[in-house]
Amino acid sequence: MEEEEAGTMVHTNFYCHLGNWGILKKLEQWFIPISMSPWKLGEKAALQALKANPYVDMIVVDGISLLCTDLQVDPQDIVMLVVSWHMKAATMCEFSRQEFIGGLQSLGIDTIEKFREKLSYMRSELRDDQRFREIYNFSFGWAKEKGQKSLALETAIGMWQLLFAEWHWPLVDHWCQFLQLKHNKAISRDTWSQLLEFAKTIDLQLSNYDEEGAWPYLIDEFVEYLTENGIVQRPQN
Amino acid sequence: MKRKRAVPKPILFSEGWEVIEQGVTKMKRILEGLPEPPFTCEEYMKIYTRIHDMCIQRSPHDTTEKLYTKYKEVIMEYITSVVLPSLKDKHDEFLLRELVIRWSNHKVMSKWLSRFFSYLNRFFIKRNSLPSLDEVAFTCFRDQVYKETKGKVKDAVISLIDQERGGEQIDRGLLKNVIEIFVEIGTGKMDYYKNDFEEEMLKETASYYSRKASNWILIESFPDYMLKVEECLRKEKDRVVHYLHATSGPKLIEQVRHEVLCVYSSQLLENEKSGCCVLIQEHKVDDLSRMYKLFSKIDDGLCRISQIYKKHVTVEGTILVKKADDVASNKEAEKRVVVGLQEQTFVREVIELHDKNMPLVNDCFQNHTLFRKALKEAFEIFLNKTVAGSSTAELLVNYCDNILKKGGSEKHSDEAIEQILEKAVNLLGYIYDKDLFVEFYRKKLARRLLFDKSANEDYERSILTKLKQQNGAHFTSKLEGMVTDMTLARETQADFKEYLQCNPRTNPGIDLSVTVLTTGFWPSYRSSDFHLPFEMTKCIQAFTEFYPTKTNSRKLTWIYSLGTCNITAKFELQTIELIVTTYQAAVLLLFNDSNRLSYSEIMSQLNLVDDDVVRLLQSLCCLKYKILNKEPNINSISSDDVFAFNSKFTNKMRRIKIPLPIVDEKKKILEVVDKDRKYVVDACLIRIMKSRKVLNHQQLITECVEQLKVFKPDLKLIKKRIEDLINREYLERDSENLNLYRYLA
Repeated sequence: MEEEEAGTMVHTNFYCHLGNWGILKKLEQWFIPISMSPWKLGEKAALQALKANPYVDMIVVDGISLLCTDLQVDPQDIVMLVVSWHMKAATMCEFSRQEFIGGLQSLGIDTIEKFREKLSYMRSELRDDQRFREIYNFSFGWAKEKGQKSLALETAIGMWQLLFAEWHWPLVDHWCQFLQLKHNKAISRDTWSQLLEFAKTIDLQLSNYDEEGAWPYLIDEFVEYLTENGIVQRPQN
Repeated sequence: MKRKRAVPKPILFSEGWEVIEQGVTKMKRILEGLPEPPFTCEEYMKIYTRIHDMCIQRSPHDTTEKLYTKYKEVIMEYITSVVLPSLKDKHDEFLLRELVIRWSNHKVMSKWLSRFFSYLNRFFIKRNSLPSLDEVAFTCFRDQVYKETKGKVKDAVISLIDQERGGEQIDRGLLKNVIEIFVEIGTGKMDYYKNDFEEEMLKETASYYSRKASNWILIESFPDYMLKVEECLRKEKDRVVHYLHATSGPKLIEQVRHEVLCVYSSQLLENEKSGCCVLIQEHKVDDLSRMYKLFSKIDDGLCRISQIYKKHVTVEGTILVKKADDVASNKEAEKRVVVGLQEQTFVREVIELHDKNMPLVNDCFQNHTLFRKALKEAFEIFLNKTVAGSSTAELLVNYCDNILKKGGSEKHSDEAIEQILEKAVNLLGYIYDKDLFVEFYRKKLARRLLFDKSANEDYERSILTKLKQQNGAHFTSKLEGMVTDMTLARETQADFKEYLQCNPRTNPGIDLSVTVLTTGFWPSYRSSDFHLPFEMTKCIQAFTEFYPTKTNSRKLTWIYSLGTCNITAKFELQTIELIVTTYQAAVLLLFNDSNRLSYSEIMSQLNLVDDDVVRLLQSLCCLKYKILNKEPNINSISSDDVFAFNSKFTNKMRRIKIPLPIVDEKKKILEVVDKDRKYVVDACLIRIMKSRKVLNHQQLITECVEQLKVFKPDLKLIKKRIEDLINREYLERDSENLNLYRYLA
C-alpha cells in the first residue's frame, strides 16, 4: 500500500483486485480528490480518517456531473436517488470511494454500458411497493444535512415532489402548501416516514383517518387544514 | 278337654255399617251446631273397633275396600247435600263467612273420620298405594267446593279490598281466613293461591292505582303526590301484614309502585312548578329526602335525579362565572381593585354554593355515589372555565392570599379561618390546573413572606398541610421550603448581627437585614444590572464577607428588586420616614446630589429598563403621595419628563408606606407552567414505557392521563411529546404495527 500525501489520489491494492476494468479510467476522472474541507468532514476527523483509511476520496458535485453525462442522465433524475440507495450513500451529492465501488460491485457493473443498462432496471424498482418504501425512507437520511436530526423544509418539499411524481399522491401539493403556510420548520424522521403510510393507507375523502390514532401531530393538523379549507369533504359518521 | 277356639261371627257389612253410621250422624249434628254431646272415648273406640274388626275379616267378608269407598261417599254426600247448597246462593261477605265455616267444619270432619277409619291407613292404603284418608277428604272438598266457589270468592275478596282502599272498614279477620284457604288448598304449594287469587288481585290493584294516579297527577304538586305515594305504599304493606300472604308482599308493592311512580316518574321529576329542579332550588330538604327514598326503589330513578341535580348545580355555578365575567368586562382594566373584589366575591360565592349543596348530598341523598359524582362533575365543569380573563386557579390563589395577608379584606376568627382555608383547599380538588395554582401561589407567598405581609405563620403552615394531604408531599415541597427559608433566615440574621458586633470595622452603619432564598423553592426572579446606591454597597459587602463563614460553597445572587428600605426624608415642614422598595429608595437617593434630574438621567444612573423606571417614577409622583414633582405636571410618565424633589410635601403621619404597583406576571407564569408540563408529560411517558416496554397508542395515552394528577393534559400535548420522544430516540414505532410504540433503552 502506497501512502501519499493528503490531498492526492491514492492508488491502492484495492485497484489491483479490480484488474483491468474499462471503468478504471472513468473512475479516475470522477474521483476528484477533496482536500480536508472542514465543512465536509471536520479537519481533525478527516486527518484521522485519512490515517486510518486511505480510501477517503469522494465523488462530489463536479464528479457527479461528469458521471451523469457519461450515463446520459439528468443529475436531477430520480434514478440517481436509486443509485445512491444501492450505494448506501450517506449524503446526497457525495459518494465516498467505498460507497461507490461497493455499490458497483453489488450491482455487477464493470462497464459504462452495463451501468447505463442498469439504470432502466433501477427505474423499475420504483414501481415495487416495498422497494419504493425503502428508497423513500432512505432518502430522508440521505437528503438531510450531516449532523442534523431533521430535514430542512425546502429540501423535504423538493424530495416529496420528486418522489410523489413516481408514486402518484394527489394531495402532495396541498401538503407542501400546508407546510409552508403553517409549519415552516424542519421535518422530523417520524413525520417523514409516517407521511408515506398516510399517503398509502388513507383514502382521499379521509374517511378512514383516525385523529385519535398514532399519526404524528403534523399530519393531524394537515387533516384539519384540509377539512377547514373545504379541500376535502369528510363524510360524517 | 279341648276348648273350642272362639271364632267370631263374621260381621256383615250392612250390620257393621250401622254403628259407623251412628257415629257419622252424630258428627254431622255437631258440625251443624246442633245440641249434641261431644264424642266420648268409648264411642270413638266402638267405631274404631268395628271398623278394625270388619277389616281383619277374611273373604268373602273382607270389606276393607268397601269401607274405603264408603268413607269417600260419606264425605261426598255431606258435601253435596249440606255444604254446597249452603254456599250456592250466597254472595260477597256472606259467601265468605259461610265458606270459612264450611272449610273449618270440613277439617274437623276429616280429622274425626280419619281417626275412625285409621286402621285402613295401616295396611290397605299402603299396600295398594292409594290416597290417604286425609288426602281423600281434602280432594273432595277441593274438587267439589273449592272449584265451584273460587271465582265468586276471589271476586268478593278483591271487592272488599278495594272497599278498604276506598276508606271503608272491612272485616280483616275474615279476609285473612279466606285467603288462608287459598293457601291451604295448595298443600304446600302456592299454585292455587297464585293462580286463583293473587294474579287477579294484582291486576285489580294495578288498575285501581292506575286510575288513582291518573287523577292525582293532574291535581297534586310533586311533593303532595309523593306524600300520597308514601301513604298508599304504607297501606298496602299494612294490608300484606294483616291478611295477604307474605309472598304477595314484594309483588304487590312492586305493582303499586309501578303504577303510581314509574309510569309518571319523568312527568313528576320534570314538572316545571314543583318538580325535582324546583325542590333543589328551594332547598326543600324534606321533600328531597322523600324523593330520594321513593325513587331509589325504581330502575334508573336515582340516575335520572342525579342528572337533573348535576345540571342544576352546573347552571348555578355557570351563573356565578358569568356574573364575574360581566363585572370584569364592564369595568376598565385599570380599575383592578373593583375587579379584584369581584374575584373575591366569585370564590366566596362558589364556596357558599358548595356549602349549600353538601347537606343535600350528605343528608337528602344519603351520600350516594351517584350524587357525590354529580356534584363533583358539576363543579369540575364550571370551575375549569376562565373567569374574568383568569384561570380559576389564579382566582383561588388570590382568595387565599387575601385571607392570609395582613390587612386582607376578610376578617375572621381563628376557627373561621381554619374552616375557610379548608373549604378553599377543597375547591382546588375540582380544578384541573393544579400546577398553575402552585405557581401562582408561590408568587403570592413570596410576596407575603418577603414583604412581611403574612398575617400568621400558623395559617401559612396550616394551609400547606391541607394541600399536602390533598395532593401529596411533592405538591407542597417547594412552598414548604419557602416557609422554612424564612425561619432559617431569622437565624442567619441573628448570627449576622453578632458577626457585625464582633467585627465593628465591617459594620456599614446602616441596619441591614438579609433573607437568603434557596433557589428552586422560590419563583425565579430575573436579576438585573442594577446600580446599587453607594450608601448600600458597604452593606452588601459586609454580608458577602459574613456568609461564607456560615456555610461553604454557596453562591449568593442579590435580587434587589425584592428589597425594602426605610428612608428618612427631610421635607421643609416635616421629617417623614418613608417605607419604600430598594429601587424606589435608589431613585430618591439620587436627589441627594442633584436638584433636578431628567428621565434619561435617572434611567442611566440606575441602569434599569424603561418599564421599571416608569413604574418607579409613577409611584413617587403620580399616585397617592407626591414625593417628587414632575414637569410637565400631567399624570403620566414620558421620557422627556424632568423630576425634582418635592420639599413642600406634608402628611399627617410620621411614617408612610409608598406602594409600588406590582407587575402582572400572569403571562410569564402561564409560560413557566406550560414549559414544566412538557417535562412532566415526558417523564410520565418515559416512566410508563420503561415499565411496559411495548404499548399501543391508545393505551399509552390513557395511562398517561390517568397518572397525571396535577393537571388535565391536553391530548394534543401528549401526542406531541410522544413524537418528540421518538425524535430523541427514547421510543420507536413498531415497523409492522404503526400504532405500537417500543421503549428504546
